[in-house]
Amino acid sequence: MTDTQITLTVNGQRHSRRVPTRMLLSDFLRHELRLTGTHIGCGHGVCGACTIEIDGATVRSCLMLAVQAEGAAITTVEGLAGEALHPVQQAFHEHHALQCGYCTPGFLAATIELLRENPDPSEAEIREALHGNLCRCTGYVNIVHAVKRAAELMRA
Amino acid sequence: MSMGHNDPRSVPRKEDARLLRGQARFLDDIEPPAGTLHAIFLRSPHAHARILGIDASAAHALPGVLVLTAEDFPHLAPLSPDLPLAGFAPVPRPIICTDTVRFVGDLVALILAPDAYIAEDAAELVLVDYDPLPAVVTLEDALADGAAEVHPQAPGNLLFQNRTATEGFDAAFAAAAHVFREDFSASRVATVSLEPRGCLARHDAGLGETTLFSSTQVPHLLRNTISTALGIPESALRVVAPDVGGGFGMKASVYPEELLAVAAARKLNRPIKWVGDRQDDFLASSHARDMRFGVEMAMEADGTLIGFRLDVLANAGAYPGIPFGSSIEAGGGPRTFPGPYRFKHYAFRTRAVATHTTPSGPYRGVAAPVGFMALEGMMDRAAAALGLDRAEIRRRNLLVDADYPFINASGIRYDNGPHHALLARALELSDYRGFATRDTDPDRLRGIGIACITEQTGQGSARYRARGLLRIPGIEAARLKVEPDGSAVLFVSQTTQGQGHLTTFAQMAAESLGIAPEHITVQEGDTALTPYGSGTFASRGVVAGGGAVITAAETIAAKMKRIAGHIMEADPADIILRDGVAEVNGVPGLSISIEEIARAAHAMRPIGMPPGETFGLDTTQHWDQPVSSVSAACHVAEISIQRRTGQIRVERYAITHDCGRMINPMIVDGQTHGAVLQGLGPVLMERLLHDSEGQLMTTTLLDYTLPTMLDMPDIAMDHIETPALDTLGGVKGVAEGGTIGAVPALVNAIAHAMRGYDINIRAIPVRPETLLRAISTKDSR
Repeated sequence: MTDTQITLTVNGQRHSRRVPTRMLLSDFLRHELRLTGTHIGCGHGVCGACTIEIDGATVRSCLMLAVQAEGAAITTVEGLAGEALHPVQQAFHEHHALQCGYCTPGFLAATIELLRENPDPSEAEIREALHGNLCRCTGYVNIVHAVKRAAELMRA
Repeated sequence: MSMGHNDPRSVPRKEDARLLRGQARFLDDIEPPAGTLHAIFLRSPHAHARILGIDASAAHALPGVLVLTAEDFPHLAPLSPDLPLAGFAPVPRPIICTDTVRFVGDLVALILAPDAYIAEDAAELVLVDYDPLPAVVTLEDALADGAAEVHPQAPGNLLFQNRTATEGFDAAFAAAAHVFREDFSASRVATVSLEPRGCLARHDAGLGETTLFSSTQVPHLLRNTISTALGIPESALRVVAPDVGGGFGMKASVYPEELLAVAAARKLNRPIKWVGDRQDDFLASSHARDMRFGVEMAMEADGTLIGFRLDVLANAGAYPGIPFGSSIEAGGGPRTFPGPYRFKHYAFRTRAVATHTTPSGPYRGVAAPVGFMALEGMMDRAAAALGLDRAEIRRRNLLVDADYPFINASGIRYDNGPHHALLARALELSDYRGFATRDTDPDRLRGIGIACITEQTGQGSARYRARGLLRIPGIEAARLKVEPDGSAVLFVSQTTQGQGHLTTFAQMAAESLGIAPEHITVQEGDTALTPYGSGTFASRGVVAGGGAVITAAETIAAKMKRIAGHIMEADPADIILRDGVAEVNGVPGLSISIEEIARAAHAMRPIGMPPGETFGLDTTQHWDQPVSSVSAACHVAEISIQRRTGQIRVERYAITHDCGRMINPMIVDGQTHGAVLQGLGPVLMERLLHDSEGQLMTTTLLDYTLPTMLDMPDIAMDHIETPALDTLGGVKGVAEGGTIGAVPALVNAIAHAMRGYDINIRAIPVRPETLLRAISTKDSR
């Protein structure tokens, strides 16, 4: 197997590694950098659990090779909170918008992107924007409530 | 908007912060120990075939690759789940196939490599020579004359059968004014926990101890099963469930991959890690709800129920599951069917049928979602035939307070149940009466459906013995330890997959200890830490696990009161524990802190213990729930169907619910919302499809569509808390009722929308093309 040298920034930290060319970006983040907050639910880009932010846009990290992220700036779930939770995380906590928590990192990334583009989304806009992420626990009811609350928190 | 969020009992969950920060530790997040071999399981591509030979030489040629087959595990005995009760065929399940494969996905070989990518490469190089044999896939195939037999031990492909009739049944039916008849069926579905199964086995040869991390709901049952199958003392085996990304019943079974990982780790003295992918999950995690209900319902002229005759079939797949056995769905169907209605006469025949498909197993509600589609579908049919409103026919048959305690026709005891109030409130909450005035859009057909349901929760040892399931103890246990600083640790025999146990159990213990929930740490899912118990399934958490927690907390509270009484020279009966202190009732200002008591209990204070009292604040208590506890709900679903496409949209959804006294209403609501999703999916879209040879056609999330945020409505919810009389703390179980109610409510709403069209809605999922055919046939006339 051929290896390739890549350099990229993850959560503000620069990494330079040799990786097998065929290694998925999700596996690179999880197993090489040990950032295991990004989860794999399907491996074929449908469930959205592996959603991360690359250069300001959400991407399904299971559909990209690590080598394709050469030079990129990536934010994963580990990079969202400081001492305090990010307002979207806080709203998910207050509104019980997570149960097992496996899909949650993907929902957080998708929500942050939505609220950046549309700080005051209607319920229909929330549902349209997040329907590419699957959750099996919550029935989405409290996720919708939490996103509305997160919008309030972030506008405040 | 649900009501629970503003309730003061709805404390935010202790488990959230680490999940939100990406700090959780799911199975694949555990750092593999040095020398770990990554496993891929080679699965049969045939539904039924003889294995003529396996050539792994090309795979072995890859660096570091090992291929293990049945020959490498000569001492692995097949597993058999059921007691030799009448009606069960004694069919064993091989842990790895020797000469025959019986479903697409059956295990043929274990491929091990230094990394998962190389293991995948190796899997492609293993050549297995199969001689395909005739396969039976559907219930019709398996029951046909001359059908291929899945197992010689199960003639006619019957894995389990049972029949019974109440006394005087035939005469009562013969005398009935009305007998209505219908057949209902459900397509097979997958659970699809978002985290697939996986495990990591590690053997310490020096100590002779093996640790298995597994994404499981049943660590103790898993340990027990592995111990039996591999001949390892339970004391040398530790099973740990790390964070688990959803289970919903599917992870309550023991699977061959877990046993083989342990066997291989011990054989090779190397850590073995397997993380299933989505295709593994579709092929080899239990399927569910592939069922038929043939129903005859007898009624008086005025719509009063006389009784039911059922003919139930469940497609159990290729093997009985471990530990729930082949009767899980076929036995559960008639057991849960009677619901909230008063009737005396009941007869059923039920059969679990073997086919060359993935084994079926427990999935949220088990057979009840399909059973209530049948029961509530019959109520609607009777209402139409008798010219009664659909709410009215239910009112005439729902149990009333005077009926309690009530033993239903399948022998289940109901201590109470506010069924009339639930129905009345659900009709208000959904504005059932206003439905006609909302019916305005000419492009959409609109319908509203009602479902009154019960949920049997908190089964104890007696139920599992009666079902012939000796591997399931049915008991739970809790160890509670108050530390010298007055904080507490609670070890519970169950394990959590998102249900919020760490919060709920802390709240339950806090009630009698007077220690704030934030100072009570709950630990679960590790056989080395927690006392022996059954695990998390069948809505047993708050009843069975909670019973143990309450008993342990009361035991420690009583001891703390004795110590406090000794220190303050007061009668222990006068001590009240609250807000971190022990007060003496009627003596204002006299109190000591819980920390003070805890220090005294650990010999860290000048004053000793009361005479005869041992040191420590540490107890382990077991709880066996003597009778199941019955929760109840009423669901009202309002849907619309686009005439042009047949697409169904859920417009409004209301639930009224009784699960006894609630500990954390926010969590109860969340459990119910999620359960609705797992009923809505199978009604609107979900189905596993096989071709005629038994090849599973739906093995990705593109082929097996799941409901998204665009499919699920908001849910209006209200609770009528009716404390249970038969449990500790007045609690009843929760988490399956949402699924059990959603299926019938949605199906009845769809049938209502299609009134006036020539279509009989009696099978799920209800496909748009089916509706469109009926709509266009009539509308084009």
